[in-house]
Amino acid sequence: MSELFEPLLRSYDEKRRSELVAAYLAVEHAAEPVPEVRFPALREPALRRTLEAMLGLSGRTLVRPAPKTWISGYRDDVAAALAADPACVPPVEERAVLALVLIHSVAIPRATGLLAEDSWQSPYPTPLEELRRRSQLPVGELEAALRRLRAAGLVAQVRADGEETGGYVPGPQFHRLTDTARRRLQEELILAAGPDSPLAAAIRARRRNRVHDPQARDPQARDPQAHDPHDRQAHDTAHAQGETR
Amino acid sequence: MTVDPHVLARARARVLGVVSADASAPVPSGLTGASDGTRVWLLPQWPDGATPALLEEYDTAPMPLDRPGQQRRVLAAALRCCWTKLDDAPWPGGEAPVIDVLEVYAGMSRGDADLARRWATGELRRLSDTGWLLLDETAGTVRPGPRVALWREESLASLRDLLRRLPQPVREDAPHE
Repeated sequence: MSELFEPLLRSYDEKRRSELVAAYLAVEHAAEPVPEVRFPALREPALRRTLEAMLGLSGRTLVRPAPKTWISGYRDDVAAALAADPACVPPVEERAVLALVLIHSVAIPRATGLLAEDSWQSPYPTPLEELRRRSQLPVGELEAALRRLRAAGLVAQVRADGEETGGYVPGPQFHRLTDTARRRLQEELILAAGPDSPLAAAIRARRRNRVHDPQARDPQARDPQAHDPHDRQAHDTAHAQGETR
Repeated sequence: MTVDPHVLARARARVLGVVSADASAPVPSGLTGASDGTRVWLLPQWPDGATPALLEEYDTAPMPLDRPGQQRRVLAAALRCCWTKLDDAPWPGGEAPVIDVLEVYAGMSRGDADLARRWATGELRRLSDTGWLLLDETAGTVRPGPRVALWREESLASLRDLLRRLPQPVREDAPHE
């Protein structure tokens, strides 16, 4: 069953081997980033390199969302290749709903200083009513989109509790964004939420320069269509916003 | 720089979840194929036969489910109807009418049977989205999903015991086509 990993694991004794396997399954399947104190293969740099190679076999990489905690995500080059494959892009309804959740739960609280600069986790739920009104989707389609987004871990439901209204927040998958993916998503949100802002103009100018600059090193920057599957939904944010006006 | 096609195929299989291809299509290296004779579903390979169940040993929470208890009971009710030869492997199993599954589930739950059937219908869809079941809503049938093919034989004993204790589907003679 594990011929795939055998060349990487062969040289390790049983103990090290099982530590690598445990860390691999933990970063690939946990809901939240896992603390390295619990997994020797995350703690020790030599083992962590082997773990990185195991993840790399499926186009994955280690992501460290906070000091001493780890999770896995798609490598940037793999994410770009997947986003260019129409079969791997979720339907427009899901992208529109997710974009609305990111605007209400992250972009707006961040703009008012309620949320830290680089966090994609949010305690501010987007009410269902807001999604219903802004997405302009029939109720059945909206519910199906939310069901699939929840199952994929892209949104999480917050239940109403006393005075607090319930709704949807970004899901645990947002822990899995690489630095590059987070930066792109941030830019896409700025373009969507404030297309006329000076910041948006600066982003557009920078992207234009990279497109025209043959020295540009970042392949994602050269092709604005090819980006991480986690942030491709934000690409449609502008579109979703346009529809609501 | 282009991505190694084998790496990309494995990454693609993860993005798409549990998707099927014609049974004659080659299974990319490093993935496991679960075939029912007509179609083949691509499943991940995990090192040393470990499964994500290992997370429990490390007090690490897996991806959350909406109503995990209810979802597990509906999966059990569905398997009760589709996995009728319990000595065999659960995959590929057989087809069963959804209505039978709803009856078995209603029989397992307390309270309003109509409500139980409605909840179970939603759970069947969720289990189908995630590859634990294959649901054909038009035909009104359900069968085990390819993910059950990842269950290891030595882990099945307690599940078989549990299923034997569940009520039988009432409409045993219902058409199975």
